[in-house]
Amino acid sequence: MRATVTVHNHNQERRNLTVKATGVAKFKGTYMREKQLTEMIQQKVSEAKQVCTSDECKVAWDEVEEVSQAKADLMLKLQKQDPLEFFCQDNPETDECCIYED
Amino acid sequence: MAVCTIHTSTQSLNSRCSLYTPTKTHLGFNQRQVVFYSKRGSSSSSKRGSSSVITCSAGGDSQTIVIGLAADSGCGKSTFMRRLTSVFGGAAEPPKGGNPDSNTLISDTTTVICLDDYHSLDRTGRKVNGVTALDPRANNFDLMYEQVKAIKDGVAVDKPIYNHVTGLLDPPELIKPPKILVIEGLHPMYDERVRDLLDFSIYLDISNEVKFAWKIQRDMAERGHSLESIKASIEARKPDFDAYIDPQKQYADTVIEVLPTQLIPDDNEGKVLRVKLIMKEGVKHFSPVYLFDEGSTISWIPCGRKLTCSYPGIKFAYGPDTYFDHEVSVLEMDGQFDRLDELIYVESHLSNISTKFYGEVTQQMLKHADFPGSNNGTGLFQTIVGLKIRDLFEQLIATKQAAPVEATKA
Repeated sequence: MRATVTVHNHNQERRNLTVKATGVAKFKGTYMREKQLTEMIQQKVSEAKQVCTSDECKVAWDEVEEVSQAKADLMLKLQKQDPLEFFCQDNPETDECCIYED
Repeated sequence: MAVCTIHTSTQSLNSRCSLYTPTKTHLGFNQRQVVFYSKRGSSSSSKRGSSSVITCSAGGDSQTIVIGLAADSGCGKSTFMRRLTSVFGGAAEPPKGGNPDSNTLISDTTTVICLDDYHSLDRTGRKVNGVTALDPRANNFDLMYEQVKAIKDGVAVDKPIYNHVTGLLDPPELIKPPKILVIEGLHPMYDERVRDLLDFSIYLDISNEVKFAWKIQRDMAERGHSLESIKASIEARKPDFDAYIDPQKQYADTVIEVLPTQLIPDDNEGKVLRVKLIMKEGVKHFSPVYLFDEGSTISWIPCGRKLTCSYPGIKFAYGPDTYFDHEVSVLEMDGQFDRLDELIYVESHLSNISTKFYGEVTQQMLKHADFPGSNNGTGLFQTIVGLKIRDLFEQLIATKQAAPVEATKA
């Protein structure tokens, strides 16, 4: 027997600044990408803070922007469906396509 | 059925002809060219070899129109792209069965290419050379031009993939010519040759205050980020942005400018927005949207006796202006929609919006009510621009179908 939970969202209003609806990774590959991007953001922000002499500074912050946007895009895709869904249908045996369980 | 354009550099094709079809070029193009070499007769020989080139476009009946979109908000996943592809019908999805980190989006009618795929330097290369992704030196405009031109001519190409997760250039993916090709990214109008290929171009101009507010929304939940780091990132990229990206807006057929609202004094939350739709006059197959009376100056607050709006309300402005020495028409919306009837009321007062039925704009907005900007000018104008592009596409197809085979003299 399966329990079903239905959520009615009456207040689809202004979202809190820092709270976002997110999906959960289904495949290991997506979980690994998410983790990698999260770590890269932290790492590159601290790098950028240290390395601030002319050209190196702007490149470091540009990298921060790139990975921040990449993570945001991944999380957005994840709201609908795991981005690896189609890839894993064709390649279920790869490591990336192990079902991820927390 | 192939449509062929004949270019002749001589007066006529003579009897002695030979033809060959070259195979794939090293750049991975699938070209089909038929070259006729003709031997001239007794008349004075020309210094140049007399040759004619017939180029056949594979697509035949279908022509590809190319739209350029300049935006600093990542690639192919932006709200604008999703609205645009929805207007043409269908949802744009990443190509199935290929590289899962592909930036490309494909629907029945539309293919969206991310211009980051034309990076000549990957993340390490940019670091070594001290250039940001905004810098033209990090991008291969020759390849961008060649491939966009090929697709426009109906030839499929093997386009590189820039992987935003690894920061590397992955093996290429095949792009077949669609009905509508959208090239989205930082530099769609930077290179003059690429610019000339565009049938329509849009520049999304986000003001600094709004950009800051949006990036806070995007990044504040990340452990690595803080208000300071978000601010530092925007400021560090600003010089390159101002030098290389911003100047493209003078070339755009339409600019969507997003500013903070004027309806709420000292508002810095960036939630209520003032959005301007700046439309160039004299663009072929594009008639600017207007309010009430084309070419006049209008200020309009729809809220009143017939329509009740909640705070801060809605305010429209429309009028002619000049933008980088071009004649333009500007339609502006400040505020936000709270209810369906506000949206339909506004739609019914706009002209030249290229809808196919009454309420189409409202319907499209409702379809994507969960998208950001669905309650303000960004969503409204992005939807309208989508409809204008559909209209442009249909006009262009009608024009091209009227003259399928042209003989041109070089």
